[in-house]
Amino acid sequence: MPAPQSDLLQGTLDVLILKALALQELHGMGISRRIAQMTNGAFDVKAGSLFPALHRMEEAGWLASAWGESETNRRAKFYSLTKAGRKQLQTETERWERISLAMGAALGMS
Amino acid sequence: MINRFRALWNNVFRKDQINHDLDEELRAYVELVSAEKVRSGMSPGEAYRHTRREMGGVDQVRQRVRDVRAGALLEKLAQDVRFGVRTLAKNPAFSLVVMVTLALGIGANAAIFSVVDAVLLRPLPYIHPGQLVNLSENEPKAGVSGAGMSWPAFTQLRDHNRSFSAIAGLATHSLTLTGYGEPAEVSTVSVTADFFSLFGAQPLLGRALLAEDGEESAAPVVVLSENLWRSRFGADPNIVGRAITLDQRSFTVAGVMQASFRTPFVGQKDQIWIPLVEDPLFGGWRTRPPQTHWLPAIARLRPGVSIAEAQAELQTIGAELAHQFPAESGWQPGIQPLQQVIVGDVKTPLLVLLCAVSLVFLIACVNIANLLLARATTRSKEMAVRIALGASRRRIAAQLLTESAILGLLGGVLGVLLAWGSVTAFASAVPPGVPQLHPISVNGSVLGFALVLSLAASLLFGLAPVLFTSRSDPQANLREGSRAGEARGARHARNFLAAAEVAVAMVLLTGAGLLLRSFAHLLSVSPGFETEHLVKAEVSLPRYQYAKPEQWRAFTDELMMRLQTQRGLEKSALAVPLPILDNSINLPFTIAGNPPQPQGKANMANYVSASPGYFQVMGVSLIRGRPFSVDDTAMTPPVALISEALARRNFPHENPLGRRLIFGFPPNGNVSREIVGVVADIHDVSLQKEPGPMMYVPFAQEPFWGAEIVVKGGLSAADVAAAIRAETHNIDPGLPVTNVETLPQAMNASVAEPRFRTLLPAIFGAIALVLATVGIFGVISYSVSRRTREIGMHIALWGRRPRAFAAWSLGSRRSWRSSAWRQAFLRLLRQPAFCLACFSP
Repeated sequence: MPAPQSDLLQGTLDVLILKALALQELHGMGISRRIAQMTNGAFDVKAGSLFPALHRMEEAGWLASAWGESETNRRAKFYSLTKAGRKQLQTETERWERISLAMGAALGMS
Repeated sequence: MINRFRALWNNVFRKDQINHDLDEELRAYVELVSAEKVRSGMSPGEAYRHTRREMGGVDQVRQRVRDVRAGALLEKLAQDVRFGVRTLAKNPAFSLVVMVTLALGIGANAAIFSVVDAVLLRPLPYIHPGQLVNLSENEPKAGVSGAGMSWPAFTQLRDHNRSFSAIAGLATHSLTLTGYGEPAEVSTVSVTADFFSLFGAQPLLGRALLAEDGEESAAPVVVLSENLWRSRFGADPNIVGRAITLDQRSFTVAGVMQASFRTPFVGQKDQIWIPLVEDPLFGGWRTRPPQTHWLPAIARLRPGVSIAEAQAELQTIGAELAHQFPAESGWQPGIQPLQQVIVGDVKTPLLVLLCAVSLVFLIACVNIANLLLARATTRSKEMAVRIALGASRRRIAAQLLTESAILGLLGGVLGVLLAWGSVTAFASAVPPGVPQLHPISVNGSVLGFALVLSLAASLLFGLAPVLFTSRSDPQANLREGSRAGEARGARHARNFLAAAEVAVAMVLLTGAGLLLRSFAHLLSVSPGFETEHLVKAEVSLPRYQYAKPEQWRAFTDELMMRLQTQRGLEKSALAVPLPILDNSINLPFTIAGNPPQPQGKANMANYVSASPGYFQVMGVSLIRGRPFSVDDTAMTPPVALISEALARRNFPHENPLGRRLIFGFPPNGNVSREIVGVVADIHDVSLQKEPGPMMYVPFAQEPFWGAEIVVKGGLSAADVAAAIRAETHNIDPGLPVTNVETLPQAMNASVAEPRFRTLLPAIFGAIALVLATVGIFGVISYSVSRRTREIGMHIALWGRRPRAFAAWSLGSRRSWRSSAWRQAFLRLLRQPAFCLACFSP
């Protein structure tokens, strides 16, 4: 059983998923690739973490899903942000800004 | 929140669709990733394998998604319950033993708790019960406490206080109801006018008593209890305004009080209430001097007034009273919460019973823990397989606890059924001394108690296998046949549990044994009079028609004459009161010629008024002098007989014959009587109490308004009753003959309370013994079955079978001897002394 990616900070995955979906709706693999692209390959989200997170966030009402066609004409489930999801993304972004500023100051990187 | 609910709803009710979608989604993921890898140059097969390896297994991903879903816990629980029920059903004998054991434990506890709940826990069934207090008069110097109030003190307190919103007095006895079927005695409470308003009791029909009814000149009215109204008056809806005859006097029915209202201390279902002024007996007592403390009183504190504040005011009023009536100095009004006074002396025995029954429960739990532990050892391989397949220990623990909870709840249901079935029998076994203001029943709080018990039990015995499983090593357990004997730890645990069980059972049994012994001792006590072939009956004279002592005397003379001329009834006598069966009358006396006793240290003795044949009929022997004769009449000088105990105490070195005692039932307290004889001691109060000093007077000289008739002979109680009834009705058809019993029967009823206190612990002790025996049998037989191979080896190596067993049993005994639990056991054994102190009279 793969251990959940331990270097991913608690809550990081949620923000990344929200951010990945901010521009367009994506299916599971698409989200994974988009996150890799956004973080310059620093985060490679595995299916074992990704899908539980997607389903949890959908149940929380941040994401909506619909079946659609992938670029290879494969039927796939596409996720998109709901209104609550956008709001969540905004709060999370603000929170991360505060944290990164604070951490930067603490570690003398500014 | 709404999203969560919708998700939960979907997960529960559209589970198949959701799971299908998840499978499809994951399949799409695998295909998309593979396609990507193919595009980058891999072969399709290789890409597919690669993808799956990267994912870490599709099944695992699917499980992790399921775990985060709403209601995942619920789903797991449902799974555990399903699996648990299947496991238990597969092992019906085991499940049955566990559930019956538990049902016994919980049932016994719920039954006792229903009594404790009704008697001790529930507040009194009146409005604002916390405000209700009991008023009494106390004379601390003479050691008298809890006496009734004198009428002057009562009125003074009622009319001049600021602490109480209402005060009511109540006196109980019985009146004769005629005109509705056979004449009957009805339990009567004579109350002052505030009585019903004090309790806020609402009548079912008509009205309760009003202030006007307490006036001297008011027309006599009566309030009936609902039960009496139904049983005696056929629930007549037009009863209000009708006249009924009580003690040959007409009372108008003012109302019917609903069944839920019961008089404190009395607690009877069938009864009537009349204004105190109308009472043929107590009505006249109001003119008594303040030295007679006879009226129990109940008061309601004004809102916001504490008992201490009321007590302070009572002190002031008490001082005023002492000033007004100097003879009364030393007496003080006292105040106590009503509930405390009512519950009084049943509290300790009930709590001890509750302790005893919770020990039974403990044994049941230990028993089941042992069984489950034994089963856990057999199931250790199953658990090991499940751990190997990836189940977490927490998950297994949850599953084991679910199984225990199922057993616990099923046992609880059975236990409640058991309690429900036994509580009626139980309530009827409760002696009359226990106040039953609330009906004893299995109600909501009893159900709650049973639920808590069964859950607590599940946790208690469920923990044993969980601890065992979490400690065991799955690898060792997986190896086939790796084990010749059994794990040392499990064996020790089981031995310890069995030892604890025996210890607790021994405590219960020792306690029960001591109680049984003292009860057997009680039954073997000779009362000092004969009971065989004796029948007693009570005749009571209505006090309006028969107001004068001359009339009482004339009636009883006539009755005795008629009875004694009948075949089989020659040996008839009468007396008031009968020993043990009636309340005794304790009166002060002085010895003529001796200096008066200091204040508060008067000589007291029990007083009996008896007809000439009484001592012969009851088999009480005359020690010296002469018995009463028919020549001792109202016209001749007053005489008395004394008991040996009185002679010993007050005339230690002289002959009491010819000396004179000054005593008498009020108002004849100052009559000087010559001692003409000494009779043997009898137990006058109860079998538990040593015979005390007694003084007897001839009934002809000191008659009562009725008497207890005792008849010795071969006739049955029914024949005697018929004869007495016929003769009584020949004299006056309106007179009731009640309480006809053989003396052995009546004596049996008199030990109802000690029997109740003995019987239940004895039953619990027996249950404990059975449970403990079953438990030990289970442990040993299980141990033998686990160690068959070991024992076989012993036999093979050492030859003879007995030695093998000896070695085996020695082993277990050694572990027992070495255990610290033996010490605890011995310490526990010394505890019953406590129980004995609570129970022994």
